[in-house]
Amino acid sequence: MISVLEKSSTLHWLGRQLFNRDDPAAFFDPLLERINPMWVQQYTPARVTAIYNETADTKTFVLAPAKRWQGFEAGQHVNICIDIDGIRRNRTFSLSSSPIQWRTDGTVTLTIKRLPGGLVTNWMHDHLEPDTVIGLGEAFGDFRVPAPQEPALYIAGGSGITPVLSQLETMAASDYRAPVTLLYFVRTQADVIAAEKLHALAERWPAFTLKVYATSETETPQFLSDLHLDEVPGLPARRCYLCGPKGLMDLANDLLYRRGITEDRIHSTFFSVPAASLDTDTLGGAVHFERSNLDVSSEGDAVLLEIAEAAKLSPRYGCRMGICHQCSCRKTSGTVVNRLTGKASGPGEETIQLCVSVPSGPVSIDI
Amino acid sequence: MKTMNETQLKELEQDLDTIRDQVIADLGERDARYIRRIVRLHRSLEVGGRVLMPFGFIPPVFIAATTALGLSKIIENMEIGHNVMHGQYDWMNDPSLHSQTYEWDTVCTGDSWRRTHNYEHHTYTNIIGKDRDYGYALLRLSDDDKWKPAHSLQFINYVLLSVFFQWGVGLHELESERIRRREISVREKIPFLKDFFRKGGRQAFKDYVFFPLVTFPVAPVVLAGNIGANLIRNLWSSTVIFCGHFTQDAETFSEEECEGESKGHWYLRQLTGSSNFTGGKWMHVLSGHLSYQVEHHIFPDLPAHRYPEISEQVQAVCRKHGIPYNTGTFARQYSTVLKRIIGYSLPDRMRSRLLPEFSSAGAQP
Repeated sequence: MISVLEKSSTLHWLGRQLFNRDDPAAFFDPLLERINPMWVQQYTPARVTAIYNETADTKTFVLAPAKRWQGFEAGQHVNICIDIDGIRRNRTFSLSSSPIQWRTDGTVTLTIKRLPGGLVTNWMHDHLEPDTVIGLGEAFGDFRVPAPQEPALYIAGGSGITPVLSQLETMAASDYRAPVTLLYFVRTQADVIAAEKLHALAERWPAFTLKVYATSETETPQFLSDLHLDEVPGLPARRCYLCGPKGLMDLANDLLYRRGITEDRIHSTFFSVPAASLDTDTLGGAVHFERSNLDVSSEGDAVLLEIAEAAKLSPRYGCRMGICHQCSCRKTSGTVVNRLTGKASGPGEETIQLCVSVPSGPVSIDI
Repeated sequence: MKTMNETQLKELEQDLDTIRDQVIADLGERDARYIRRIVRLHRSLEVGGRVLMPFGFIPPVFIAATTALGLSKIIENMEIGHNVMHGQYDWMNDPSLHSQTYEWDTVCTGDSWRRTHNYEHHTYTNIIGKDRDYGYALLRLSDDDKWKPAHSLQFINYVLLSVFFQWGVGLHELESERIRRREISVREKIPFLKDFFRKGGRQAFKDYVFFPLVTFPVAPVVLAGNIGANLIRNLWSSTVIFCGHFTQDAETFSEEECEGESKGHWYLRQLTGSSNFTGGKWMHVLSGHLSYQVEHHIFPDLPAHRYPEISEQVQAVCRKHGIPYNTGTFARQYSTVLKRIIGYSLPDRMRSRLLPEFSSAGAQP
């Protein structure tokens, strides 16, 4: 009901006048949240309806988003937001369920592995309980099922299987006849995510071939090689999809390229482990200023305000000593170290003070 | 001002930084819950006040509705808006509580406030000539300004400023005194004036046009209630703010003594240029914890509800360094503010005879 404030442009204008904010519908959130957290307007709420274990360190979270959520295509990602110890954390995950499931029962799933030292993934594993409401963004990403049908090869590693699961389910349900092969690399057989689902798919969908390789069960690790690719019939005609750790992706890209598969037929989606470090050696890095579309590099403990000014930008600033917050702005990705506290930030989107933030590795800033 | 050498200032800086670091390390759920509870209280009061107002033709309801709306504006301006815009809750990463995008329920635009208050006033606190908040370029509050006959009427100016406080704050960045002295031209202020009229228009439209119109048959009642609520907020916020820097013992500084100052000197200036007042829990909430002006000025971006908790530690640091910690009851502090306004409206000789306590206070180092 409240969302009408966002839909009608006259009411939206009026709401801005009355509530002094660009999202007037969210003005009532503090009250609505108390009545029913699914009525919150600031973000799209999604209720956790079930949680189940996939492997020892991977869980699947079933979410029921509010009605206004606009849906997704197989292989896309979403941002979720969760308040942890008072701080809102935004993270991106792939949806692991198919859009058909969302259309039939209104739920989507996220399949999430604990990252070593990962604040959000570990919190979700340890503290998130059914019936909690979290925030869900609209889906994005162009890692999508081939249309029209053509032979496909999927190479996935570890939890990189999640967007692939969504795509395979969608293809199976749409009577996909062209051959589809999945080469799935895991450390040990116990690390196979959604094993049941994958085997069920292989059984009921004739065009699908499933190959699971455990890399660390033999004495010499068994990584992706030409031997694996030799077993894929009609490889040159296939559209290729890669998702997994960087090492596997680089290797796959290289091998496919050498077999004459062109770049436009290889689709990759990345996921990375945050690697923040406090060594002074690691300070500095490539800085991307998004709104100005400018890239510069920095060295040592130069703060972002100075870096921006050296790049002829004029971000708003005040005291230049971390007091007045005139220069606060959004960091969209990357890690920065606070020069006053020596503390490193998280890797996701958050607010930072330019005058005391030193990049630690590549960062993107919304100025 | 108390003089301290650089070693002592460095030690002061470290002592205060230690307090600050402790609070920052402890920020979390408790602070988030606090500010969200206050935001919820604000929404309840505003919704309650607006819904009750049309029934204000019943006198007790009128009083209840006007009080609720007045309190809602006070809480939104003082404990939410002012503090959020200082970046006290930026760490929560909640877009609704973000310092750079927050827009509050008053005439002054958030952007103008962030420039004149967060930057100018908090960086150059009580430096005569640089801190335009000292007397708001309207009142003579120290003998750095030479007395002129026009000053004798400044108490009337003070009352008018308090009554129309939100408009005064909204126009602060116009720097009308500099325009009058022809240091700047009106033309330079056109972008500011555009924003001022947009926001001022929005505020006036809401309280004086829209809500009276939608309750047409009782429009005069709603209009009167809304004017009353704005007046309550104006008088209270003006009073609280005047108690922050214009009490008897709050010191002022010259540009020369602050040139190239260290962080320690900045701390010392904040400690000696600000003043607290005591009171119950609600007094502090309604003042946005500016009753802890000293703590606020040394740590403007720590969540304000933490100031009472660290006050003891700050006082201990002051005692250790022999720095006065200016506090007193609300009545006492406010009476010295009134005395200062009246005292400096008089010619210097008459002032030193009638109010000797103000004969040497102020700019004297």
